[in-house]
Amino acid sequence: MAPSRYVGLLAFVAASILPSGVLALWPIPTNLETGTTALTVSPSFYFDVQVEGAPADLYEAVDQAQYYLETDQLGRLVVGRGANDTAALASAKTLSCLQLSLTSSATVEPIASEAVKPLGTRSEEYELTIPADGSTATLTANSTLGLYRGLTTFNQLFYYYGGVTYTLLAPIAITDTPAYPFRGLALDTSRNYYPVTDILRTLDAMSWVKINTFHWHITDSQSFPLEVAQYPELAMNGAYSATEVYTESDIQYIVQYAGARGIDVLMEIDTPGHTAIIGATYPDYVACFDATPWATYANEPPAGQLRFALPEVMNFTASLLVDIANTLPSCYISTGGDELNTNCYVNDTLTQMQLNSTNTTLNDALSTFTQTTHNALIATGKTPVVWEEMVLDWNITLSNETIVMVWISSEDALAVVEKGFRIVQVPSNYFYLDCGGGGWLGDYPAGNSWCDPFKTWSEAYTFDPLANLTESQYSLVLGGQQALWSEQSGPQNLDPIVWPRAAASAEIFWSAQPGGTPLNVTEALPRLHDIRYRMVQRGLNPIQLQPQWCALRPDACDLTA
Amino acid sequence: MAPSRYVGYLAFFAASLLPSGILALWPVPTTLETGMSALKVSPSFYFDVQVEGAPADLYEAVGQAQCYLETDKLGRLVVGRGATDTTALASAKTLSCLKLSLTSGATAEPIASEAVKPLGTRSEEYALTIPADGSTATLTANSTLGLYRGLTTFNQFFYYYGGVTYTLLAPIAITDTPAYPYRGLGLDTSRNYYPVTDILRTLDAMSWVKINTFHWHITDSQSFPLEVARYPDLAMNGAYSSQEIYTESDIQYIVQYAGSRGIDVLLEIDTPGHTAIIGTSYPDYVACFDATPTPYEPPAGQLRFALPEVMDFTASLLVDVAKTLPSYYFSTGGDELHTDCYADDYPTQQQLNSTGTTLNDALNTFTQTTHGALISAGKTPVVWEEMVLDWNVTLSNETIVMVWISSEDALAVAERGFRIVQAPSNYFYLDCGAGEWLGADPTGNSWCDPFKTWSKAYTFDPLANLTEAQYKLVLGGEQILWSEQSGPQNLDPIVWPRAASSAEIFWSAKQPSGAALNVTEALPRLHDVRYRMVQRGLNPIPLQPHWCALRPHACDLYA
Repeated sequence: MAPSRYVGLLAFVAASILPSGVLALWPIPTNLETGTTALTVSPSFYFDVQVEGAPADLYEAVDQAQYYLETDQLGRLVVGRGANDTAALASAKTLSCLQLSLTSSATVEPIASEAVKPLGTRSEEYELTIPADGSTATLTANSTLGLYRGLTTFNQLFYYYGGVTYTLLAPIAITDTPAYPFRGLALDTSRNYYPVTDILRTLDAMSWVKINTFHWHITDSQSFPLEVAQYPELAMNGAYSATEVYTESDIQYIVQYAGARGIDVLMEIDTPGHTAIIGATYPDYVACFDATPWATYANEPPAGQLRFALPEVMNFTASLLVDIANTLPSCYISTGGDELNTNCYVNDTLTQMQLNSTNTTLNDALSTFTQTTHNALIATGKTPVVWEEMVLDWNITLSNETIVMVWISSEDALAVVEKGFRIVQVPSNYFYLDCGGGGWLGDYPAGNSWCDPFKTWSEAYTFDPLANLTESQYSLVLGGQQALWSEQSGPQNLDPIVWPRAAASAEIFWSAQPGGTPLNVTEALPRLHDIRYRMVQRGLNPIQLQPQWCALRPDACDLTA
Repeated sequence: MAPSRYVGYLAFFAASLLPSGILALWPVPTTLETGMSALKVSPSFYFDVQVEGAPADLYEAVGQAQCYLETDKLGRLVVGRGATDTTALASAKTLSCLKLSLTSGATAEPIASEAVKPLGTRSEEYALTIPADGSTATLTANSTLGLYRGLTTFNQFFYYYGGVTYTLLAPIAITDTPAYPYRGLGLDTSRNYYPVTDILRTLDAMSWVKINTFHWHITDSQSFPLEVARYPDLAMNGAYSSQEIYTESDIQYIVQYAGSRGIDVLLEIDTPGHTAIIGTSYPDYVACFDATPTPYEPPAGQLRFALPEVMDFTASLLVDVAKTLPSYYFSTGGDELHTDCYADDYPTQQQLNSTGTTLNDALNTFTQTTHGALISAGKTPVVWEEMVLDWNVTLSNETIVMVWISSEDALAVAERGFRIVQAPSNYFYLDCGAGEWLGADPTGNSWCDPFKTWSKAYTFDPLANLTEAQYKLVLGGEQILWSEQSGPQNLDPIVWPRAASSAEIFWSAKQPSGAALNVTEALPRLHDVRYRMVQRGLNPIPLQPHWCALRPHACDLYA
């Protein structure tokens, strides 16, 4: 979880001397040595895949890297965008080849297979060297997934000016290993629907900053856009329309697309709360369905939660979760468990009858429900993931393997790890991308965002994954992610509300403390501008972080500049 | 400014009975009568332009209206998106024609000419009737601009389901006049650049909600993307790159495009502050150029307005730019002037000492020089509120003053007798709430936090604190996007549909019933225009989960 790191002394020297010292790498590698020599990329540059039995998705990744190398055409973020580099380039050597190979002991599997191995067993590390003399660059790794990460880094090294693709920092030597195994991005596709193409584009962007988990909050109370073969009515009645459904083939395509980009798809079917729309198909399974005033029964409209105390609802839910989980290669699936509203059940005859007749409490029933659904998942080889309330509010008996997502506050991580669970950090006070958009309820012009203010990239970047924890608890932190809840988002603003902000956690959980020094917003901003402008070149629509005047003049727009 | 209105009783009746009572109109018309009959649009529907000597841009507007009628294909915002309307449609009559005509005595000028007439002399009013029996609908106005506004309304009436374009509210009778003559949108294209296509798309969206002024803050300290024939160095050295320039032909194209959509382009060359980048071409004209630390946003640098050569240069620059534009109005800015910049500025102090004038006197002379030149060229100057409230500069009575620092400042400006445009940051700044953008300040926040939601903006009262005698000084208002954290990547979602809030405040002012505008009544209509914007290819932000948009009021706070 915390591999040893050393600072590349050459890199330090280069960065402090050169105006070109802004490194374009994001997340910053574990170890990095750079020089001060210009090196151009040959027009006939090629990737030499020296991997016996290389899988198709590695060749696809190489093609993609070749494409980015040719089409990024990113001007260096300085005044003139590289016009001053032409003199150095005139006498520069030319790089013609990057050779990819696996270490001798490695077995050759598809990237998509490596990407879905259990957390802690994936091999994402790689080594990349680019000599200054034009001789072959080399990329080695212990897996195709590591090679994929290395290709991502390779693509970030090059700028473009006047027809020439080049770096000013040769020779380059990188060894790189992620600090945390879980680096995610969460998206809610229930409050508003996102077409498949938006999700694919988001997966591409995630891969550019080495995010390895797509936490897909696919259903909620507002809509059920997931087609499930055994329960087709759920989407038929629960999706916003017939065209706003993720079909089984959509899901398979997305999972495959993600896998080939080193991304595991962690699907969440939030239960037993956040399920109102299931009542459109199974009215007997949902308590306080569409009840008003909604505020009495739910955190947001519409009200409605699964009658989890009923045996038939437990069985239905377990079966639904297993049916979905079985279609996915991931070892993980989230059963949610946040924001359960007990008022919903107080006057619910069916629930109260069941509790009275079996002489159980609501909390006992919830424990039984959760064990039923989780055991069914575990029996199919899946590890459950839950939101923090399952541990902190309900004290449900959970498998020790369960992964708990901390969201309400960064202060809650300690309480969860004290119970011995592994955690994923998603604290709303740092990582919620929807905060700050103002109130969205009607009839409430004075309303504000519940988690105001907006979480800037730099606020997110100051998050410390290990804050308040003891050293023996550090190993419980699997990583973290930023999350977009979609009450006020849709395909129209997906790119600008997510990017480049979601890159902040990507670096926190990949790089942690490069060279032993804590991450620093002031050092990071020029690099973040760099990756942001590269994203624009690749067709994404990330928000501007500053006036372009500032982006071209590192640190000139710092508060104390 | 406040024409009499009456409530359409039928409209009231319909709205209270029908599930289909959500009117899709935004801004809501002055008077409105609707019925309860379904009416389909014929596949061979046509616009009959009965306007002698109709200008080309009226025909273009009709062509556009025909296109929207055919391609909007907006499903009604109810569960099922109109599936339950098919019964009513089976027996519905069919509308085959909308006849456009001008009132007798009206002359047919191009829309683009009508759109740039002086404020208060433009004719935007129109009358629209759509019978329920399928007979010809009629649109009449006193000008082609009025016809254009009426076409915009006409397009908002129709929904689409299963191949049929229809309304459920026939017969329809509307008379409509804007409450305020100035309804704008402000955009800063200096902090970050927007390609011309983004501006054109924004002008289209503005026209859909009857916004009639594009307030273009085209230059600032960060970049000078405006090509000026006599001062080519300004853009050559001041634009972010040679591709990030609005050429003279770009400007002409944009102005024409705006005009034919009923929009006047009010260009702003902010002076004497917000001008640092001019120093890259004229280093002698700019004080404290790129100086650090800077108390406002970087980079520092302001015109040495006390120097005669800078006054002459600025006057000449402004006039050269203004002369290329058809608008009667031109903004010289005047906000956020920082006097520290001049305290140690040798050329400025030397000039002040040698002439025995104060900085304030010099600013007065500078402003009178630049404004005098603009007025001579037939232009009316527009300034930010500080020119009046902080500097007490002597200005022509005709000068229009934009209030921005706070909605509380309108009164003080009105008390000085100036006409005002309401652009209060505490209601109308679209950039607020996105956090600090300066580097090295991770705990910093937006200076005008929080985010101004559409509904917060919608509660703005343009006449608050003013006496009735001062009401006529309020020309209108606008929402504004300052672009420190914006660019083409987020232009649509950060502007739309929020900018429609002020569009309705300043067009409608009241509901047709005479009641005050009300956020709860407005939200379903705003969803409607927002979803229509999506159909037209814009990227407006969702205001709520789609579940809420399909169920009016179900997501109200107390629902």
